Amino acid sequence: METTETKTNGIVMLGLKGKLDTTTAPQLQEKLLAALAGGEKQFAIDCAQLEYISSAGLRVLLLAAKQLRSGNGKIALYALKAHVKEVFDLAGFSAALPLFGSQSEALSSFTH
Amino acid sequence: MTALVMMSFKNQLGEIERLGRVVTEFAQHHHWSPQVLFEVNVSLEEILTNVISYGYEDNREHEITLRLAFADGELTAEIEDDGQPFNPLEMAEPELNKPLEERQVGGLGIYLVRKFMTELAYQRYEGKNRLTLKKKIAPEE
Repeated sequence: METTETKTNGIVMLGLKGKLDTTTAPQLQEKLLAALAGGEKQFAIDCAQLEYISSAGLRVLLLAAKQLRSGNGKIALYALKAHVKEVFDLAGFSAALPLFGSQSEALSSFTH
Repeated sequence: MTALVMMSFKNQLGEIERLGRVVTEFAQHHHWSPQVLFEVNVSLEEILTNVISYGYEDNREHEITLRLAFADGELTAEIEDDGQPFNPLEMAEPELNKPLEERQVGGLGIYLVRKFMTELAYQRYEGKNRLTLKKKIAPEE
């Protein structure tokens, strides 16, 4: 998995590319926890190039979402491929981890 | 590649990458759709990860065998390990309707396997766990 990271208007923009599985999930966990420890509270995750996710990937995103909630932060995911989105739906995560179609929709969710 | 593949993995998480390559090659050979490949890949990753992460209490190297067979539109995958007895079919279903804060993520992997496969069966024999997964696969349109 490759990740890209930028920051726009206080929102950490994280792009995920490739596979988020048992072997790559720890990488993302480290990145997210470091950002959280650094005081970041808003995350927008670009999933347009995320080809694969297993429960190990879900676990990391759930961990981040839980920590953000307790600190009044927010995480939004966008542009998920259909089969990746299906995993979120099956896991019942869609309500807790908001999913958006596009970057602009995801970003506008932070202002509301 | 024939309709039958047998291979073994060590009890190291790095093997998951090799598993993905084997499954992808098998899927391409049998012209499965990307969706089917994804579902099979996730299922086998979940099972192998469980065995590697929780199956062994010693620090020794163990062998986990995988057998893939595809015939008459049905995939049969058998995973055999010599780890401690563990029947994933006995795991409680995750509490999908609970609020996020109360959710435990345990059991989610097996839950996905159940959703993606048609049939699961567990056997313990001769000191080994054997999990058999079956999936009906329609030819790609």
